[in-house]
Amino acid sequence: MDGLDFAVRYPFSSEARAFIGDLQLNEHIVELGTERILKALNGTASAKVIYHESDKKNEIASFAAARMILGYMHNSFITNKFAVNESKVMHGYLNRDDDTTVDKIGKTFGIHTQKENERQMLGIPVYISFSPKAPHYRLINRRIFNGLVEISNDEKKRLIEEAIKKHIEKIPMVSDPPVMIQDAAKRIIDELPKHQTKIEVKDNDHPPCIMKLLESVKKHENLSHPARWFLATYLLAISMEEEAIVGIYSNLPDFNEKITRYQISHAKKKGYSVPSCATVTTYGLCCAICRIGTPIRWHQLDKSNKEALRK
Amino acid sequence: MIDGNDLQKIRAIFAKYYDTAEFKIAALEQREFGIGNRKKIDSRHLSFANLSEFRNYLCNNTPLFVSHSTAYYEFPGATPIQKKQRRGADLVFDLDIHAEGKYGAYEKLDDVKQDLQRLANDFIKNDFGIKKEHILQVFSGNRGYHVHVRDPAYLDLGSEERRELVDYVMGQGLNYLDFFIESDTKPARLLGPRPDEGGYRGRFARQTIKALMEKPSEISRIFSNKEKRDFFISGVNEGNWSRMSFKYDDLKKRLAHVAETLPVRCVDTDVGVTQDLSKLIRVPNSIHGETGWIAKIIDDIEKFDPLKDAFIETKNKETMKIKFTEDVPELVLMGETKEAFKKDDEKEFPMPLAIFYVLKGSANISDQKSGK
Repeated sequence: MDGLDFAVRYPFSSEARAFIGDLQLNEHIVELGTERILKALNGTASAKVIYHESDKKNEIASFAAARMILGYMHNSFITNKFAVNESKVMHGYLNRDDDTTVDKIGKTFGIHTQKENERQMLGIPVYISFSPKAPHYRLINRRIFNGLVEISNDEKKRLIEEAIKKHIEKIPMVSDPPVMIQDAAKRIIDELPKHQTKIEVKDNDHPPCIMKLLESVKKHENLSHPARWFLATYLLAISMEEEAIVGIYSNLPDFNEKITRYQISHAKKKGYSVPSCATVTTYGLCCAICRIGTPIRWHQLDKSNKEALRK
Repeated sequence: MIDGNDLQKIRAIFAKYYDTAEFKIAALEQREFGIGNRKKIDSRHLSFANLSEFRNYLCNNTPLFVSHSTAYYEFPGATPIQKKQRRGADLVFDLDIHAEGKYGAYEKLDDVKQDLQRLANDFIKNDFGIKKEHILQVFSGNRGYHVHVRDPAYLDLGSEERRELVDYVMGQGLNYLDFFIESDTKPARLLGPRPDEGGYRGRFARQTIKALMEKPSEISRIFSNKEKRDFFISGVNEGNWSRMSFKYDDLKKRLAHVAETLPVRCVDTDVGVTQDLSKLIRVPNSIHGETGWIAKIIDDIEKFDPLKDAFIETKNKETMKIKFTEDVPELVLMGETKEAFKKDDEKEFPMPLAIFYVLKGSANISDQKSGK
């Protein structure tokens, strides 16, 4: 793959920065950057095929412009949505690219794998920094040897996706950008979906694990599938209205109203019970030692116990 | 409540110790310090430019407790905490034991020591691959131990990642049934972990073999037969767990109690020591103000006996007379059995032992002598 194509696919790379070093910000690039953000917000970001060299350079620059807009907007909801969607698109590229390219991208985040007897191994600190929160990825369920974790090729790509997401999320604040960036920010605000429901946590009276998930949702952080499922069963169990639950989930960076609505009503219809604390621990979502067996039993604790556990 | 005059005397003893105490505080100038008298930490955000400044502070102020941050900071004395600018933090594990009564924990310290050895050797060295020179094992000065890990690769981990490591050590979410799969041959063989594997898999296989050798009947009476046992073990060594006559699910169930022995149980996660990046931890080789014991850096854990080795050493065999203000149970201290004492008993002890009872709030100083 030629260097320019590489840069188009992975616009955060140093190669990409080199290509657009001498490019001036202009209306067209800002427009492309705005589109990039709006697509992420609608969840329609997808891989692109571009032919002309100048278009390729503009495409790379549009990523930089998008970051500038986000840095100016300073809105964690939009930034997280952008990071999740962009990293998913790049995961798609990783799937199509050869091992050398995958390794090259991995190395920019410190994801250096090494071969030991035909097995691909990665250092524990790097592994736990980028592994998704899912039982399968938990360190305890992995093959470990002398500071290294065995991972497959697909898992490596998933870890790189996570690393890209974390990297994109870190956007420096931009305080006084050119007017065209400010205008783009206004346009994005105008086009935002209007039904963002505020989360009302009644008296903050939920077990610590649930509080933590709700905090994450508030900050528009992405939740793993088990986390979403756990939260939904809990909210249904305390008789929250389906509509209100959808409202809460609308804060997630990859919110899709149709799918969310279907899944929640499905969970309600099936009457799934709230998982036990042991299961929640398996998901890696337990964050206190309440000794209540199942999170729902929180509501049977007396006030002083609850307060002690909240500390 | 400890008598004010007694505390004055004890502080003088602390000051004398601190005058020559050996500290090994890596990057001291990048750490935040906290001191305590009424509680373990009364004030924090202190910082020192070098060891002699720190030593002077201890000798002049002699707090009952002194802690330093596990984190390294650009500006350790700055407040609020965001302004300190963190540059990584040691990975720290806190092992301790809770027991009934003021003195109940001390007889269980040996259990904590065993856990400490497993934590350091099996988990930190073997599984996490951390070299010995990056591991500092320290007695906490009271009911347990601290392990400070200073491997550069681990210093930048965030709180969530540290939690993952604690969960790993504590066996949270461990499902040993997932270690097994059945082969697609006919008849299907039960494939499982081999003893030479790393992590929980290898530990499980090794522990199973150990259990079979030591107490075979706890798994099944069939394994009391040496031939059958050896045949089964020869399979396990190759990852083949089928060389026996049980149904596979039955065998797996019988191994549940083996799985339970694998994690380290007394890691204290209640207070979130490992996850808390702004945590202050007792300065290694400082004195714990509830016991007068030194939070000793341990060179040889096998030989270390906290109830003997953690007492302050006094050169001139000073003694001290104390009067008990409450009943105290029998304890093994300084290598010998100290009988139980009753309220109002008056006794003369070597000074370090006397201040132990005073700091525990069980006695008052009645007289201090310096013997030759």
